[in-house]
Amino acid sequence: MGAVAATSTLVDNVRGRRWRAFDLQLFLYVVLLIGFGVVMGYSAGFAEAGAGGGLSQSVKTLIWTSIGLIIFFVAASVDYHWLQTLTVPIYATVLALLTLTMLIGTSLFGAQMSITMAGLDFQFSEVSKVLMVVVLASFLASRRERIGKLSTLVGAGLLMAIPTFLVFKQPDLGTALVFVAILVGMLFMSGASIGWMALLAGATVAAAPLAVQSLQDYQRARLFCFLDPYADPQGACYQLVQALNAVGSGGLFGQGLTAGRQNQLGFLPVQSTDFIFTVVAEELGFAGSIVLLVIFGLLIWRILAIGWGARDMLGMMVAMGLASMLLFQIMVNVGMVIGIMPVTGIPLPFVTYGGSSMISLLFAMGILQSVRMHARKPTF
Amino acid sequence: MADLNEGRHDTPRSPARFIAFGVAAAVLFTTLGGRLFQLQVVNGDQYAAEAEAMRTVEVALRSPRGLVFDRQGRPVVVNVPSWTVKIRPADLPAEETTQVLRRVAELAEVDWRALRARLRAFQGSPFELVPIERGISRQAALLIGEEAERLPGVVVEVEPVRQYLDELGRVDGRLLSHVLGYVGPINLQEFTDLGTDGYLRDDLIGRAGIEATFERELRGTYGTELKERDARGRPLKTIRTVQEAKPGRNLMLTVDARMQRIATQSLQWGMRAVGLQQGVTIVMNPQTGEILAMVSLPAYDNNKFATGISVDDYAVYLNDPAKPLRNHGIADIYPPGSTFKLVTGLAALEEGVTTAGRPWPTYGCYQIPDAPRGQCLFDWNRAGFGPLNMTQAYAVSSDTFFYQMAVALGVDRLGQWANHLGFGETSGIRLPGEAAGIVASREWARAQGREDVFTGELAQAGIGQNVVAVTPLQLLNAYAALANGGRLMEPMIVRGETDDSGRLTKAYRPRLIRRIDASQTNLQTMRIGAREVITTGHAYNIRDLRLPGALSGKTGTAEFGERRRGVLPFHSWFVAYLPSQAGATDADLAVVTFSYSAVVPGNVSLEVVKYFLQEWYGLERDLRLDPRDFSLVAAN
Repeated sequence: MGAVAATSTLVDNVRGRRWRAFDLQLFLYVVLLIGFGVVMGYSAGFAEAGAGGGLSQSVKTLIWTSIGLIIFFVAASVDYHWLQTLTVPIYATVLALLTLTMLIGTSLFGAQMSITMAGLDFQFSEVSKVLMVVVLASFLASRRERIGKLSTLVGAGLLMAIPTFLVFKQPDLGTALVFVAILVGMLFMSGASIGWMALLAGATVAAAPLAVQSLQDYQRARLFCFLDPYADPQGACYQLVQALNAVGSGGLFGQGLTAGRQNQLGFLPVQSTDFIFTVVAEELGFAGSIVLLVIFGLLIWRILAIGWGARDMLGMMVAMGLASMLLFQIMVNVGMVIGIMPVTGIPLPFVTYGGSSMISLLFAMGILQSVRMHARKPTF
Repeated sequence: MADLNEGRHDTPRSPARFIAFGVAAAVLFTTLGGRLFQLQVVNGDQYAAEAEAMRTVEVALRSPRGLVFDRQGRPVVVNVPSWTVKIRPADLPAEETTQVLRRVAELAEVDWRALRARLRAFQGSPFELVPIERGISRQAALLIGEEAERLPGVVVEVEPVRQYLDELGRVDGRLLSHVLGYVGPINLQEFTDLGTDGYLRDDLIGRAGIEATFERELRGTYGTELKERDARGRPLKTIRTVQEAKPGRNLMLTVDARMQRIATQSLQWGMRAVGLQQGVTIVMNPQTGEILAMVSLPAYDNNKFATGISVDDYAVYLNDPAKPLRNHGIADIYPPGSTFKLVTGLAALEEGVTTAGRPWPTYGCYQIPDAPRGQCLFDWNRAGFGPLNMTQAYAVSSDTFFYQMAVALGVDRLGQWANHLGFGETSGIRLPGEAAGIVASREWARAQGREDVFTGELAQAGIGQNVVAVTPLQLLNAYAALANGGRLMEPMIVRGETDDSGRLTKAYRPRLIRRIDASQTNLQTMRIGAREVITTGHAYNIRDLRLPGALSGKTGTAEFGERRRGVLPFHSWFVAYLPSQAGATDADLAVVTFSYSAVVPGNVSLEVVKYFLQEWYGLERDLRLDPRDFSLVAAN
């Protein structure tokens, strides 16, 4: 190895070694998940419009994936430290996008969640989640010396509070909760004082009834369905009851792709997006569901490893923020359709159909690769 | 890149917190997996069953309605495919309803308000299909199909509808409308009452004729199939048949459609000739009670009902004073006139009021026994006939002879004999709307606020006037009992059940109502009288027909109502029977014709029967009288 390295130019050597550190495992899991999403999206689209509908859904996902992959490689090849220098503009952009969405957004299920441009819907809340991970990582890294102080907690909380409030008012309860999860996860991993965190958590829990009060009626009704879905199986909990039936009907090996009766007959609400896991469970059964969960588990594990091996606090925080985000989304999305979490609109990462989500996530994976590739000092 | 600090681990990473994070993730994933195991593997069957229950719906499998054949196996009721426009209210936005209905009405060439009325009247689930117009043309069905995109909720379905045929298989509902009846949409009350029998909200049910009385046989039994429905409630694919539909049974009428045609033409000829509005001809096999033809004019077209009659057409039928929707042969009652002398005569013989040979004086006018002098009842022959015995009096139809019989019998015995011969009670024929009629009785008098009937009324009842009213079928059936030796049969309209090609597979048995409690001698006396009506008496102008067997019968007229054209209008009757085989003694054909309210002299019913017999037996027609001159025929 030494002889070859010695004859190489510095830059070439560095670049070659950097890409050699490219985390293939992480990339592989992401590709598998996207593949899952394409296949399940085909089935969900098939339910709505036959084979044509299925193909169109899959093709759209692949187009978004292609765009996302370009962004992924760009993000991966840029040193993530650049992001730190851009923290303020990034934060400003997040606030601007979310404010804009709230003001002129297109109504989707009664909430202003996206902005339509050139015929495409942009859900800026998706990219905001990733950007807020970066902002918070920057902030926490900059306060590395005072990490245990209450002021750090309060500062991070305030930084997160504004975008959380903006999405909550859209109203997009799901994304607001993801923001909170990112905050909690990152504070915990930053080494913040457990005592102060517990105190703040207590205060938040005390304030929860207030937040619940401010929800729309339909949101509140859906939120509590999971406690007893059969209280109102034809009304607010209809979706959940149908989802549970679908998951249960999947059995051990499922009913086969595009053969899930609940899915194909339209009993599942928004089956290509928030309820996509129901289609997986119904059509591919327990076996398929477990395979999907294992891939997710491996993905989280890889991100943890990248975080552990990160060169600095910034890299670690970025990794752990994204890990928190993904873990939370997986738990809530899957938990929702199997009746152990309240029904909130949170997409299943990589699998749920949606351009904004896909591009944002591949962007995030690009940053992670960058963290990974910059983990070690180059050897000369 | 040249930063020499690069690669330095300055991360304040805490292994404990990494482990905590990892453990938390592992616990969460395990929880998800465990819950999935519980849902899918442990309780999977239960959820699958519940999912199936929630997304399937039991849909009725309609059974094809039974066909009907005439007694020769000619199809007279068949099912033909027809296009029906249906609407699924759930798929039709309220704000587009008017526009869509107008367009459908335009394409189907019907009144859109009728469509709206049917849609509004429907009370089922919005996912059920509401039939709003049946029997649209193929052309209209295609046009509506082409515009499906712009007509949300509108579906055109092919449904079987009833088609009523004549003796030659032509679509003609008027030939047998009163026998066959028709089907119509079930109403809410009936649905509530019959819902458990498997009727559907948009179902059809027999409304008249045998379609109504044989509803159970014709309808069959609906089956059910389990269909998968989509989230909007629309039934899609069939999962399995829960119960097969049992097709309705095919029926064979006792009626011969060709004879029905001839009887209809004969009656139409007579009615046209003298300008009548209503008439009845019924033909029966007196041995079995089988109805061979049953004509009530005017008739209606039951094919108009098959696809839902329009309000206008229905109003025309309802407002017609001749009441075409009523089967006058069984649903209306008329004074029988002299034909009733059979009852008075047989009763007098049986009760010992007279004997067959005993002559009684007859009069131009009969003094009512307990009335002031001079209050008398005329004979139709104001000169009187001199002394007559029973057969002679019956043959010439002497009124004063039968006045005396009736008065001697008294109201109770006359009424009992009338009831015994089937008057004052329904015959039990399986057709809807049969009337019982009126027979003179003390009960009747008491209902009028009197102790007893007046003697004058009693005398008139003896000749079938005043307090006697009968259906043409009752009269025919009493004469059939005379002809067959004293068996009062229940008139039959359906002969049995057949296979799909009209071959009898199960014959219904003729049913005896009762044996007439009269001696064969006395029945024979009355039969001789009826024969003499033709040979020497009243109906002599039918005598020379070269019929296969000896014809016997009785004429009758009954005046009623106000004078028109200087003449009291009257009903005329002719009832007769004969054996169809040369040399046979048992009559196998009995016929009655009733003509309503004529104002020309003569008995048009007799002429109608004559015409009918000539046509049915293929005789020369030279004996038919000029219909403009019935004066040759004695008017009683």
